[in-house]
Amino acid sequence: MLLVFHDCIVIGAGLAGMRAAIEAARSGLDVAVVTKIYPVRSHSVAAQGGINAALGKTDSWEAHMFDTVKGSDYLGDQDAIEVMCRQAPSDILELEKMGAVFSRSAEGMIAQRPFGGAGYPRTCYLADRTGHGMLHVMYEQLLKHGIFIYDEWHVLKLVVEDGEVRGVVALELDTGKLHRLHSKAVIVATGGYGRVYRTTTNALSSTGDGMGLALDAGLPLMDMEFVQFHPTVLPRTGILMTEGARGEGGFLLNSKGERFMEKYAPSVKELASRDVVSRAEQTEIEEGRGVDGCVLLDLRHLGAEKIKSRLSQIRGLAMDFAGVDPVVSPVPVKPGAHYSMGGIAVDKDGQTALPGLFAAGESACVSVHGANRLGGNSLLETIVFGRRAGASVARYCEATEAKPFPDSALKDACHSVAMVLKRSGGESIYAIRKEMNDAMEDFCGIFRNSVRLKKGYEKIRELRERYKKAALTDKSECFNNELLGYFELGQMLDISECILLGAMNREESRGSHSRTDFPKRDDEKWLRHTLVYKENGEFRLDYRNVSITKFKPQERKY
Amino acid sequence: MKIEFRIKRYNPDDGGSPEPYLQAYMVDVTEGMTVLEALLKISEEQDPTLAFRKSCRSAICGSCAMTVNGTARLTCNLQVLPEVEKMGSMTIEPLHNHRPVKDLVVDMTPFWNKIEKISPYLMPSSTSGSNAVTAEAEELIDQSQRCVMCGVCNAECSSLEIDERYAAPAALAKAWRFVGDVRDGSVVKRLERLSEEHGMWDCVRCVRCTQYCPKGVSPLKQIERLRSEAMKAGILDNHGAKHVEAMAGSVEKFGRLDEAAMTFKTLGFLKSLGKIPLGIRMELHGKMPHPYIVAQIEAIEEVREIYKEAGKKAGLKEKKKE
Repeated sequence: MLLVFHDCIVIGAGLAGMRAAIEAARSGLDVAVVTKIYPVRSHSVAAQGGINAALGKTDSWEAHMFDTVKGSDYLGDQDAIEVMCRQAPSDILELEKMGAVFSRSAEGMIAQRPFGGAGYPRTCYLADRTGHGMLHVMYEQLLKHGIFIYDEWHVLKLVVEDGEVRGVVALELDTGKLHRLHSKAVIVATGGYGRVYRTTTNALSSTGDGMGLALDAGLPLMDMEFVQFHPTVLPRTGILMTEGARGEGGFLLNSKGERFMEKYAPSVKELASRDVVSRAEQTEIEEGRGVDGCVLLDLRHLGAEKIKSRLSQIRGLAMDFAGVDPVVSPVPVKPGAHYSMGGIAVDKDGQTALPGLFAAGESACVSVHGANRLGGNSLLETIVFGRRAGASVARYCEATEAKPFPDSALKDACHSVAMVLKRSGGESIYAIRKEMNDAMEDFCGIFRNSVRLKKGYEKIRELRERYKKAALTDKSECFNNELLGYFELGQMLDISECILLGAMNREESRGSHSRTDFPKRDDEKWLRHTLVYKENGEFRLDYRNVSITKFKPQERKY
Repeated sequence: MKIEFRIKRYNPDDGGSPEPYLQAYMVDVTEGMTVLEALLKISEEQDPTLAFRKSCRSAICGSCAMTVNGTARLTCNLQVLPEVEKMGSMTIEPLHNHRPVKDLVVDMTPFWNKIEKISPYLMPSSTSGSNAVTAEAEELIDQSQRCVMCGVCNAECSSLEIDERYAAPAALAKAWRFVGDVRDGSVVKRLERLSEEHGMWDCVRCVRCTQYCPKGVSPLKQIERLRSEAMKAGILDNHGAKHVEAMAGSVEKFGRLDEAAMTFKTLGFLKSLGKIPLGIRMELHGKMPHPYIVAQIEAIEEVREIYKEAGKKAGLKEKKKE
C-alpha cells in the first residue's frame, strides 16, 4: 500500500497521455504515467491511415479548419478547431524531431495522401502503420525524459477533496494491492470506449475508463451520443481496414458490382466523410444489395506493388482475419464502432471544470470533432492537445501547493474491492457485458429512432441493476483479469447510459447521430453541445453553446 | 468443431510453492477463430481465472505472445484450425526465457530493461537532426521499425537461454533503428557500448529470432548490420570483432578456416589457456581440429582475387589506420 507523490499523474499512456507527460516533464515537473497496459500496447498503436496537417504549398490551416468544421456538421467548437489546425504543421515537425519517420514523396517532402472529407491531400503517414510509428517514438521520448511508468496499474478512483484533485487510487494488477498516488494534478488520457459495442475496431482494453472516473468525480461528459462508425471494418472481428485504402484509390462495391457511393456523394464518392459512407453502406446492406451483410472494398486496380508498399499491414490483416488477399479479391467490409467524438468536457488547454483535473485525446471532448470526426484528425488531436494539456498542467502546478491526500480515499477503494471479491453466487460479468454489447449495437447503432433508443435505454438500466449483484469466480490477488473486467464493465454501463440519454434527447440528425424519426439537422434547437452529469447514481442532461467564429453553419454536401 | 486446448496453469497464490500443470479445455472452434479468441472464449465461458495478456487483437500491440505448440507466437493472428491440422494438437504455455507470473502471463520487466539499456531514442547531433530521412534512408531501418515488442524473438533466443544478461534480439534490433538512422549523432558511442560483453557479439546466429518474428523485423539481420558498422567504425578491440578478423584472415591465407588458431586470435594467449580443458575433452571425442596441419587450398589465388574484388579486407585496414 504505497503512498507516492508526483507533481502530475497521467492516466493512460497512449499518444495523448505520453505527449502530455513529456510536455509536463520538459517544464521540470515530476511526472508519472499510470496505465493498465504497458505504454506501447495502447490502442493509438493501431491507428493506420495518418495524421493531418496543412503542409502543402497551396494548402492552408484555414482550409483544414473549414473541412474539419464541415466534417463536424458544425458542432465542433471553431475556436478549438482553429488552434488545432494552426498548430498542426509545427507539431508534425516536432514529431519528426523526436525521431518519427514519415513516408516521403519522390521530391523528399513528407508525403500526404487524400482522406475522407478533406479538400486537399493533407494526411501524413508512415505506410499504414502511422499510429504504431508515432506511439513507439512517444514511448522512446517517455524513457528519455525519465518519466516513471506504473504499468499494469488500473486507476479505480480520482481522489477529490475540497473541490480539488489530490491524486488517484490504483490497483496493481500483478499483486492485487491498492496504492495511493498523490499529486497536484491529474491528466486523464484513457482513450475511447469502443468496447461497449459488439462490432468495434477498438482494442479489448478500450473501455472508456477515464470517462467513467470523471463522471464519478462529478464532471460532465460532452456530446456522448456522437459515436463514429468506421465504414471499412472486417465482419466478425471488427478489425480496421484503413481509410487510407480509399485514400489510395480503393472502391466500395455493392452486390451488383456498382460503386454505390456515386449515388450518395456524387463529387467525392468513397472519400466522403465517415458518417456519410457508413450510412450509405448500411442502406445498401439493409436494402438487399449487400454481400453476406457486407459491402466490398476493392483494391485490385491499385496493383500489387502499391498495395504491398503502402497498405501492407491491412493486406496482412485481410489475409489473416478474413482469408482474403486484396491483391486478388475484394475484401468484405461493414461499418463498425470506431471512435468517440464525445468525452470529458475540457477547454482548449485540457482543463476540466475541476481544478487540477485535465484530459486529452479521445477521452476528452474539446470539441474539435463535433458530430463527426475526419480521418487523420484524431492523431493530430492527441499531439496538439496532449502537448497543450501538459503545458497547462505545468502552469497549474507552478501556482499550486500540494495538499494532503485524504485517508478515507484508500479505505473506500479497499472496501469496494473487498466487497466485489467477497460476493458469491451472482451473475457472470461476461454475460452482462454481452447483453450490453447487443443492446448498444442493435438499439444505438448507425440508424436510430425513439423506439429503439428507449429499448436500449431500458436494457442498460436493467443491466446496471444486475451489475450490482454480479460475482467473480476468480478470487486471487495476482493478475485477476476478471476483477479488472468487473471495473471496466461498470464504467462501460455508465457510458452506455450517457450515450443513450444524449441520443434519445437529441431530436435531429447531425453527423454520426442519425435519427430516422428526425432526419433533418435542426440548428435552431440543436446547435449545442450535450452535457451529461452523474449525480447520486442518476444521470442529468444539460446543454452548452457551440463556438462559431469563422464559418456559419450551412447544408453539408459531399 | 471441438478442439482440446491444453493450457499451462500456474498461480503463485496457490499456497506453498505451487508447480505449473497442464489443464485441458474443450473449445467449440469455428472457421477462422484465432487462438486468442479461443482463450477469450475459455475465460468468458468456462474459466474466468485463466490469466493472459491481450489488447488490440490485430497483431500490432504485441501483448499476446505465448508459446503455442512449442514455439513463441502472437496468438491473435494465429488461426486454430490450420495450426491443429499441422501440429495435431493445441498446447499453450507462457513464453520461454521469461519468468511466469501467473498462467500465461510472464514477467516482462527484464525485457523492458534491456530495451531501456540501449538508449532507445534518437540522439541527433547539432547538425544531423535536420537531415531528412529519404525513402532510401528509411528503407535501411524499415524492418527494425516494424517491431511490436511482443518478446517472441527473446523467447526463442538461444543465447538468452544461457545468459540472462545478454542484450537479446529485440533490444538489438531496436538499437539498429537508431544506429541506422541518418539523423543519429551518437552512432559510434552506441556501437562501442553494444560491443561490450553480453552485447551484440554474443549472438550465436541460430536464426530463431528471425524465423519466429511475427512482424518481419529480422533481428539477426539487424545484429549483423550493427556488427558490420562497428567494424567499419574501427571498434575492433573485442572478441567478436577479433573473431571476424581471424576468420577473414584465415580464409585469405589458407582458403579455409584454421579453426584451432581462431581461439588464440579471438581470445588472446592467456585467455586461450583457460580453454585447455575444453580442448582436451574435444580431443577425447575426436572433435579437436589439428592446429599444425592447415593445408592451403590449391586455388588460393582465386580466393584472394575475391578478397581483392570485394575490397573488404582493404576497407577494414583503412578504417583501422584512421
